[in-house]
Amino acid sequence: MTRRFLALLIALALISPIFGVWLANLINYHEPLDVAADLINQAANRTILNDTRYQMNWTPFIDYTVPGLPDWAGYIVSAFIGLAIYLVLYMALVGRRGRVKRTS
Amino acid sequence: MHIPDGYLDPISAGVTWAIMLAYGYYAYRHSELQKYMELVLSLAAAIFVAQMLNWPIPGGTSLHMVGGALAAILVGPFNAFFVLLLVLLVQALVFHDGGVTTLGANVINMGVIAPLVGYAAYKALRPRVGVFWSAFVAGWASITVAGTAAGLEIGLSPWFPYGWTISVPAMAGWHALLGLVEGAITGFVVLYLSKRAPEYVRL
Repeated sequence: MTRRFLALLIALALISPIFGVWLANLINYHEPLDVAADLINQAANRTILNDTRYQMNWTPFIDYTVPGLPDWAGYIVSAFIGLAIYLVLYMALVGRRGRVKRTS
Repeated sequence: MHIPDGYLDPISAGVTWAIMLAYGYYAYRHSELQKYMELVLSLAAAIFVAQMLNWPIPGGTSLHMVGGALAAILVGPFNAFFVLLLVLLVQALVFHDGGVTTLGANVINMGVIAPLVGYAAYKALRPRVGVFWSAFVAGWASITVAGTAAGLEIGLSPWFPYGWTISVPAMAGWHALLGLVEGAITGFVVLYLSKRAPEYVRL
C-alpha cells in the first residue's frame, strides 16, 4: 500500500457519513432489496421476508454505529475499524516483502 | 444488495452456503493468492470503505458500490472472490450488514456472479470499444445480473413460492438503472489505473 492509497482510504472514511448517514437519512435509505421484500410481503399479505437483524444481534457496531456516539461519528469510527482489520491482515500476510514493484 | 438474516429459509441458506464453499475451493485452486495478496487486501479495504458511500437516487431508492467487476478486472475473477469474501465477512460479522445465514447467498451474488459477469463483459468488449466503455458495461452488467440473482434467491421461498415473479422484475429493473453508477465508477477507476499504474490491471 502506497501512502497515496492510504490517504485515499482515510479520505473516503472521513467523507463517508455525508453519503452513508446524512444523504441516507435525507431520502430515508431504501435499497431495491428492501423494495422487493416489501412487495413480496404485500402480495402475500403477511410477513414472508422478516429482517431479524436486530432480534438476533451479536455486535455492538450493528449498521456501522458505535454505542454512545452520534451516527456520523460512529460511521467514521466504523470505517476505521474495518480498515484496521484489513491493515492488520495486510501486515501479517504481506508485510514488507512480496510487494508489487512500481516501475514509475 | 446484502440479504439480511431472516430472508432465506434453512434449506436455501444451506444450499447457498454449500455452493459458496464449493466455489471457494475451486477459486482457491485457480487463484494466485500468494502473488496477488497485496492487491487482494488493498482492494478489500478500498471496496469496504467504498461500499459505505450510499448513493441516493431520486425516487427514494439508494445503492452503494459493490466492486465485483472492478476487482475481477484488476486481479481476475478467482482472486476477486477472495476480495469480496473478505469484504462481506467483515460487514456481516462486525457490522451485521448482511446476515450469517445469508452469507452464502451474498457471496454468490457479489463474490461469484458479479466478478464473473464483469470479467466476461470486459474481456469480450475490451478489443472493440476501449478501456472505459468496456469497464463501464462490465460494472453495469455485474450489478444488474447480481441484483437479479438476489431477487431470485429471496423470491424462491417455500413459504411463498411465486415470490420470485415479484422480486426478480423489481430487482432487475432497479439494478439496471442503479448499475449505471457502478459502471461509471468502474470505468473511471480502470481507465485511471490503466494509464497511471498499468501494473495493477491484470486484464
